[in-house]
Amino acid sequence: MDRRNFLKVVAAGATVVAVSPSLIRGNLYAADGALFKAYEKAQLVDAAGKPIKASSLAKEVTYIFNYPYASTPCMLINLPKPTATDVQLTSENGEKYVWKSGVGKERTVVAYVAICTHQLTHPTPNDSFIGYVPTNKKTMAYDKSGVIVCSSHLSAFDAGSGAKVLGGAATQPLNAVVLEHAADDTLWAVGILGQDKFHDYFQAFRPEIKEFYGKPAESKKLVSISAKTVKLSEFSKEIIQY
Amino acid sequence: MKKALASLALGVFLAGSLNAAEKADPRLELMKEMRTMMDAMEQIQRGGLYSSGDEMKQGVKKLQGTLKSLESEDVKAILPKDQVYAYKFAQKTAHMLRLYSDDLIASVEAGRMDNALDDYTQLLKQCMSCHIRIRNW
Repeated sequence: MDRRNFLKVVAAGATVVAVSPSLIRGNLYAADGALFKAYEKAQLVDAAGKPIKASSLAKEVTYIFNYPYASTPCMLINLPKPTATDVQLTSENGEKYVWKSGVGKERTVVAYVAICTHQLTHPTPNDSFIGYVPTNKKTMAYDKSGVIVCSSHLSAFDAGSGAKVLGGAATQPLNAVVLEHAADDTLWAVGILGQDKFHDYFQAFRPEIKEFYGKPAESKKLVSISAKTVKLSEFSKEIIQY
Repeated sequence: MKKALASLALGVFLAGSLNAAEKADPRLELMKEMRTMMDAMEQIQRGGLYSSGDEMKQGVKKLQGTLKSLESEDVKAILPKDQVYAYKFAQKTAHMLRLYSDDLIASVEAGRMDNALDDYTQLLKQCMSCHIRIRNW
């Protein structure tokens, strides 16, 4: 390969990565300070394996899918109104990052890691203490509903603003799942935004994760190609919401 | 003589009533269980620090003996009035205590004292998590 061709290849590679950062794995610190970790790209599909369309999601219902690992639950919500845009958030280490917005035709579809950043409460097949509280229901965690609530220690997160902390003991937003909304209305998870707690989660819940997802090699397997997405009421036997 | 007999009868009656009330009060029973839990945790920690798997296992046995009171709806009786609704959280805590303590036994038997001590840490975290919630800290 001569010098000219080599430069062409390098330039083409850089362009591809710049256009779609999810093509490479690892931490990306963008110029604006955004902390983003790209994982395998996975299409959100229903229990039958059919791609989920953003416009077909029920409003204000919490859906669960596991991403980026086979045992890390995330929630998908179609909010009643468009989300805020370019929300500046701060991790508990003080790092600033920007949550762009919800996706979908009306910018109402959001996804967050369903592991509370306070003490790692998360939904299991047995029960769930964390989820979205619809606007027609009340919560003890915050004076308004339409928020995500962790009922373990009553932390509230703003579902329409990158899961910013509204109240309670949590000290940083829930991690956001970065979604891509394709032209055919399908949804794809491509990465995680924010300072993640996956390592702590795997360590703290070792016996529980083993019970539900098998040995570490299975539970820590990266999700790829597709992620099965079901309603929280189908994922957990019991939903506890205060 | 009659007075003495009447006083004695009254005394016996009162003592009996108090004893019955004490037995019937689930709060007292649960508080006793909490003290046993604390002893059990100390025993597990002692076992871990002195590398005694047997001591740890005895502590786990003691701890697991107390969990029924938290797992049942009786736990409502010990919760502060403004936290009674949170009994599900206490039940979940009891479930996690059982899970970690079972794993602790498995870890000791597999000779994985590092995992066993990690389980002890998680047990303690569960205790703290529940007390933070119940006491509104």
